[in-house]
This record gives sequence, structure tokens and C-alpha cells, in this order.
Amino acid sequence: MTGSTRLNLLVLPAVLFLLAVYVWPTLGLFRNAFNEVGPTGAMVEAWSLKTGAEVFADGFTFELTLNSLWLSLTSTLIALVLSYPVSLFLFRTNSRFRGLLAVIAIMPMLISGVVRVFGWLAILGDRGLVNTLAQSLGLISTPMRLVFNWTGVTIGLAESIMPYMILALLAGFGQLDRTLEEASRSLGATPFRTFLRVTLPLSLPALALAAGLGFVLSMSAYITPKLLGGGRVFVLATEIFEQATTNTNWPVAAMLAIYTLGLLLLLLAISNIAARRLQR
Amino acid sequence: MPTRRLVIQAGLATIAAPAIVRAQGLSGQITLMSYAGIFQDNYVKTVIEPFQQANPGVKVNYVPGGSSAQMVGSVRAQKADPQVDIAIMDVTTSSIGNTEGLFDKLTPAEVPVLAELLPEARAAGGEFGPAVTFDHLVLVYDTQNLTPPITKLADLWRPDLKGQLAVSAPPNIQGLALTAMVEKMEGGDYRKSIDAAIKKLRALAPSVQTFDPNPDGYSLILNGVVKVATGWNARSQLFADQTGGKIGTLLPPEGSVFQINTINLTAGSKNRAAAIAFINHALSQGAQKAFTERMFYAPTNGKAVIEPKAIARTAAAPESRARMIGVDWNEVIKLRDQWNNRWRREVISAAR
Repeated sequence: MTGSTRLNLLVLPAVLFLLAVYVWPTLGLFRNAFNEVGPTGAMVEAWSLKTGAEVFADGFTFELTLNSLWLSLTSTLIALVLSYPVSLFLFRTNSRFRGLLAVIAIMPMLISGVVRVFGWLAILGDRGLVNTLAQSLGLISTPMRLVFNWTGVTIGLAESIMPYMILALLAGFGQLDRTLEEASRSLGATPFRTFLRVTLPLSLPALALAAGLGFVLSMSAYITPKLLGGGRVFVLATEIFEQATTNTNWPVAAMLAIYTLGLLLLLLAISNIAARRLQR
Repeated sequence: MPTRRLVIQAGLATIAAPAIVRAQGLSGQITLMSYAGIFQDNYVKTVIEPFQQANPGVKVNYVPGGSSAQMVGSVRAQKADPQVDIAIMDVTTSSIGNTEGLFDKLTPAEVPVLAELLPEARAAGGEFGPAVTFDHLVLVYDTQNLTPPITKLADLWRPDLKGQLAVSAPPNIQGLALTAMVEKMEGGDYRKSIDAAIKKLRALAPSVQTFDPNPDGYSLILNGVVKVATGWNARSQLFADQTGGKIGTLLPPEGSVFQINTINLTAGSKNRAAAIAFINHALSQGAQKAFTERMFYAPTNGKAVIEPKAIARTAAAPESRARMIGVDWNEVIKLRDQWNNRWRREVISAAR
């Protein structure tokens, strides 16, 4: 047995595990996508493209795709704008509490998504913190609609992907060399100009990496659109769930799941290419 | 040559046979899948425990299965090796199981209690598992903070309720039932068209805080998030009792729609005899009476004698029965996708 064969053996447990818990069920998903559904919802075993044809002929699928892309884009941009300064601070600070601060920044990851969403309901609801405060200050007379619509979902999703983006940014800041910034300042550039011409361009690969991750996470997010959307926000993930568990329509759910998987792979590929180009 | 031992063994076996048959018929375990939460708690107490006392050899495992659609999904996934013997779920999903061959037909020879059921209870499942509970759609409201209280379906459009409603939209069957009710209120008939209902519901949309109440409308009222929600009678009645009357239940005078749960025998059940015995028990007068008096689902056994106080709070009360809109769920289910699309495009899209 050569060294490299022995090395390859190390991945065997992970490969077997993935085969059992990921590849096999995904194949089942593919199988279901080619079944048909009768008028009462009963599944008819078949090898047919009828379900696929129906799914892609339905304008709603296109609408769902645009909704998912739009939601992911807005949440990612908001999260990026908020995460970038935090990450930059964490990367640069010499504080002895740096470790603690980093943990605090990624702490939302440690809380269940459902709990976090109910937290947002308490903050953004008609009788929540924001509305109560704004009303008591006399800023508004009727509550602002901040949840059970796109606004609530965008806010909730942006917050939920922030910890991942902060980690991605920290990981990608490798090229951010402080001496280059010092050189810029010593040559007379203002701090703002230094940021714009040195810091920001050097952090572009990190930003691309974080944005790609945030976008993919947003595309597949289910809990936030489901619980904060109030039945008004239709995205691919909620539709897959609805088709599978309310309509008992497994073939349509499976077809949409495969379609979403394809979209995500495409997006990941694009984000990887972008990150690599920016790194050069 | 038959030995003496063989003769004795054969003799003993003959003597013991009836007992063995009896024990074989009612021993071992069966698994019942149905709703979680208060349904489970009360079903175990009023139906399962008495069954186990009468049949000490049988252990009934109650498995909460999520929504009806999730339950039929579980039974479907276990088709090759069923782990569930009996499933209680909504008729719209059990009919899917019937068509797919997931459930067995039941005959009066095997299930004599079928003869005692109301005709509509038997009709709900056809030759398959019959109705085991009747429920109906109600409006649930906050009795503490809503003055005046709502008294009819049309009250949902009251201006003071703007932003105070939780309405379960289709594909949830509450939304389907509401569509039929609003169409009737507007003088139409859902079998012909739902145009009037959609138009009216579109006008309601800006008042609706959520079309997907989580965890459910009752909780949103109790937490002060909304003041009125769509709900099911049985649960509303129970929550009303449990909260000291903080929530009220209204069967709208404009009419309501039955929700039907059927009891279904899984095809290939590994303990069919015990499962059949349980179905006989669940549909019997005693079990139906006990569960109705505990949880206010209307009984499906026509001979069950229910306390007048309890029956008045179910759909079986004469004045309630008179208000019911005859909805054939097997027909509505074929229209579900179409109704669902119209809600999405014409109702929910009307901004909040």
C-alpha cells in the first residue's frame, strides 16, 4: 500500500457517511421527481416528465426564483454592510477581549433559528419594542408593519447570516497587510482615501467569499421566511416545504428541490470564480 | 410410531388452543399515529387507556405524526415495512392513502361497530377507514380585549379589526373551508365559483396580520398578537376552558364546514387483530362519548349518548348542524391547487 493510498483511506469514513445520509436520499429525491400526482393528490409511480413540465411551465416557479434571488441579494447586501466593519474591527483590534468579542459576534449561531425568529417577533411586532418605542415618542400613531412581510424576513435573514459572513470575512482578510495602509498614510493619503484605495480593494476577495456564502445560505433559508413572512413571502424553500408537507405533493416538491439544488451549485461556482479572480 | 410424549403434547395443545388463539388475537403492541399536543394527551386518557385496561395484553404506542400530510407521508415512506398500525388523520389526506393502497378496507364483519356509525361518518371513508371525529371551522377571538365581541363571519371586515386577524390561508384546509364559507356568505356556491369569495377576501387581506399563524391562531390571541383567528372548534373549546375563558369561540351564523378525521388501518399491519380491535373500540359508544365530553369533537357513532352540556359545544348540537355547509372534501381537494393559486395571486398579494 502506497502512502497516498493510505492517505485516501482516511476519507473513507466520511465518504461512506455521505453516501448513506446524503447521496442515497438525494437519489430518492430524484426518483420522486419523476413520479406523477393524481387529481386527489395520490402519488402515481412512473418515470415521467409530466411533473417537471408542469413545474417549469408554471409562472409561479419563475416568480419563486426571482423572489428567492431578490431576498438573498437584499439580505446579503445588508448583512455585508453590517458585518464588514465588525469583522475589520475584530481583525485589527489589539484588545485583550478580542476572543470574547469574536465569540459574541458569532453567538447568534449558537441559538436555535426558531428562537431567534421569535425574538424578532418580539422586537418588530405591532406591539413589539420598536413600535412601542416609536409610538411612545410620538413618531408614529399606528404601528409600522415590520413583520409578517418582506421587511421582516429581510431583516431576520440578514441577521441570521451575519455570523457566517463575519467568520468568512475574518478568514478572507489574509491579504490585508497593515504595512500597506501605513505606507498609504505616510504618503499623505487621508484615512478615508486609504480605506477606499487600499483597505477595501484588499478585502474584496474576503467580501466575495462572504457574499457568496451569505447568498447561498439565504437561498436555502426556510425558518425565517416561514415564520417571519406571515404567509406573504413565497420563496423556493417555503414552497418545497408546503408542497411536501401540506399538499402531500412529493413529486413537485422533489422537482423544486432538485431545481433549487442546481441553482445553488451554479451560484457557488460563480462566487468561487469571482473570489479567485479577485484574489489575483 | 406415535410416542407417548407426542400424544401428550398433542392433547395439551388441543386444550390450550382456544387460549392461544385468544391471546394471539389480542396481545403484543400496536402503534397509533395521530396529532401531537392536547389531542394526544386527551386521546390517550379517554380512549387508549380504557382499551389497554380491557385488553391487558395489548400495548398501544402513540406516535405524534405532525400534520395529516406528514402522517400520510410517513405511512407512504414505510410502505414496504409498516411501522404504524393505525393512523388518525384528516379525510383529505387519508383518501390519498386509500387511493395509494396504504390503508385497508374495513368490513362490518370485522368491524361490527361500523353499523352504529352515522351515515356521513361511513361515507367519509367509503369502504376504507370511517370518520372517528367531526370538527368544524370557527372564529376564535380575544374575549378580554375585543369589544364588542364578534358575532358573525361578516364581522371580520370590521374596521377596528384591521391588523388584528390571523387567517390560515390555503393550502391549509382552514383556508379552503373559509373560502367555501365566504362564498356562501356572499350568496354563492363554491361548487360553481369562488369569484365572490375571492373578491371579498381580497378586501380582507390588508386587515390580516398573518396568513400563516405560527404556532397557531389560539396562541397568537393568547399572546396578544391578534384579536381574531380562524380555528377548529374542539381545540378552541378546550383552550377556552384551559385559559379561564380568555378566548371565545364563534360558530358563524353564516355557516361553517365540517373537518373530518378518519381512523385508518395500515395495509400490512403487523398486528392486524389488535388494530381491528382498537378501531372497534375507538368507534364504540363509550370511547366516542368519553372523547367528545373531554375534547368537544362531535361523535361519529350515532348511538353514543353524550352529556347535553358537552354536545352543545360540538357540531352535533342541532342548531350547529343546521348551520353546516355541505362540503364534499373529495371534491374540494381536486380544486385545492386552483384555490391556492387564486389566494396567492388575488388575496394575499393585496398589501398589508
